[in-house]
Amino acid sequence: MVDISLLAQAEGAGPAPWPWRALHASIKKRGVPITLISALGLLLAWALVTKFKLVAPLFLPSPLDVATQFYAVAVDGFSNATLLEHVGTSLFRILTAFAIATAIGVPLGLAMGLNRWVKGIFSPPIQLYWPVPPLAYLPLVIIWFGIGETAKIILLSLAMFAPIVISAQAGVRSVSQARIQAAQSLGATRAQIFRHVVLPNALPEILTGLRLATGSGWGTLVAAELVAATKGLGFMTLSAAQFLVTDVVFVGILTIAALATLFLTALRLLERRLTPWKGQD
Amino acid sequence: MTLVVEKASVTFTNPDKSKDALPVQALADASLTIPRQGFVVALGASGCGKTTLLNAMAGFLRLSQGSVTVDGVPVTGPGPDRGVVFQKDTLYPWLSVLENVAFGLKLAGFDRPKREAKARELLALVGLEGFEKSATYQLSGGMRQRVSLARALATNPEILLMDEPLGALDSLTRETMQELIVDVWASTKKSIFFITHSIEEALFLGTEVVVMSPRPGRIIERYHLDFVHRYVATRDASAVKSDPEFIALREEIRNLIHQTGAESHGRHLLARAS
Repeated sequence: MVDISLLAQAEGAGPAPWPWRALHASIKKRGVPITLISALGLLLAWALVTKFKLVAPLFLPSPLDVATQFYAVAVDGFSNATLLEHVGTSLFRILTAFAIATAIGVPLGLAMGLNRWVKGIFSPPIQLYWPVPPLAYLPLVIIWFGIGETAKIILLSLAMFAPIVISAQAGVRSVSQARIQAAQSLGATRAQIFRHVVLPNALPEILTGLRLATGSGWGTLVAAELVAATKGLGFMTLSAAQFLVTDVVFVGILTIAALATLFLTALRLLERRLTPWKGQD
Repeated sequence: MTLVVEKASVTFTNPDKSKDALPVQALADASLTIPRQGFVVALGASGCGKTTLLNAMAGFLRLSQGSVTVDGVPVTGPGPDRGVVFQKDTLYPWLSVLENVAFGLKLAGFDRPKREAKARELLALVGLEGFEKSATYQLSGGMRQRVSLARALATNPEILLMDEPLGALDSLTRETMQELIVDVWASTKKSIFFITHSIEEALFLGTEVVVMSPRPGRIIERYHLDFVHRYVATRDASAVKSDPEFIALREEIRNLIHQTGAESHGRHLLARAS
């Protein structure tokens, strides 16, 4: 629809604008990416199902309805806040929790990898709570920390903390004895071995842990905004569901999906930049 | 520097936790001297205690009995006076080739220009000019072992301990590397202790070859040789290796290793049966 008119315009008006040119170049080099075909196919199926009214709009609004609603929520807002405000609130919560979980999780995981006492003390509680879904301990977090911002950030931090600690610990333990012996025979002290061998050796796994944590953080967002929130993407999606405004529910879900994908892609790029040797040695 | 191993024994507790599992004697009563500028090669089948012996010299493990001394001073741990080249590639993939070679100097606190100048010099010595900025994981196996050798030389140790450094290489690369190691040994005047399970390699490299046998790991024979000197003088490796004397000795050692291997295997079975 919108896309087609844009394409027609581009063809008529000389050189295509850059995103199209980049796509064109990429297709010429690598062929049409399978992921793109899959995404377009899904969109097409969605459009056709709603076009022929196979499912009632209450259950499945059409792509166009969702796009229109997206614009409306972005400009006029929903539940007393615009989309940008909802996004901003959720981003603040997630980023704060990510910073807290990283600042505590990485050093603790490194210490657990280095020292069996630290490991012995902290491993049982972390192993126990990790597999429990955050929604299950949400009531406890609310009883302890109230219904304010603190409880939400603590819930998100807990969801992100475990994968970060576990992978930092695994990173330390993955260092081979021979790599340490090589440093020792070159005269390295214990501190130098940690700084120059153990730490860089653990970096790929630490970054993987951060990526896992981002995934579970976004996965916990709706749970965190379940109680006593007035803003946030999770809250917006939940309250739209209560009023059966299905197209806004779609807007919420798609926005969360887009942001989470953006985060994961950024972290993957960071990984490629910081640890180009990963999987090569 | 002279490294002396005297009546060294190493016993490991048996990883098999059953009640009548006896402790494993990895090394029994081994005595050995690596003289100044000597090239001592330990030769034997796997499990004969070669690596245990090297680890004791490097200071990676403690002897159960006996002693390792350098110029009379007991070895208590690893140190930059004894450089080690491992069989398994132990280069650091997060560092460039140049940074890997300069690593020991960095640990010792040398500033960047000094340590990089030295590292460049060593890379030239092992024939790797132009690869300073390369990533280690982009290099072939032979090139990686050249980097390992340069890295071990950087802290200027008088003794080099090499644990089957050529074991993972193809036979052509292996021969080139043998000649490179001889060149480095001759030009830097290091003392070398070198492990291999290739008889030909041992004969070609060593000024002294000790033949070891498993269960328990011990030295069963010693040879003092001059094939390596002949190579340094003539620079003709194939002539040295096809010399009748070389071939006769190769066969003699081959028989020796097969005999003792079979014998100790038989003894092992008897011990089990009784």
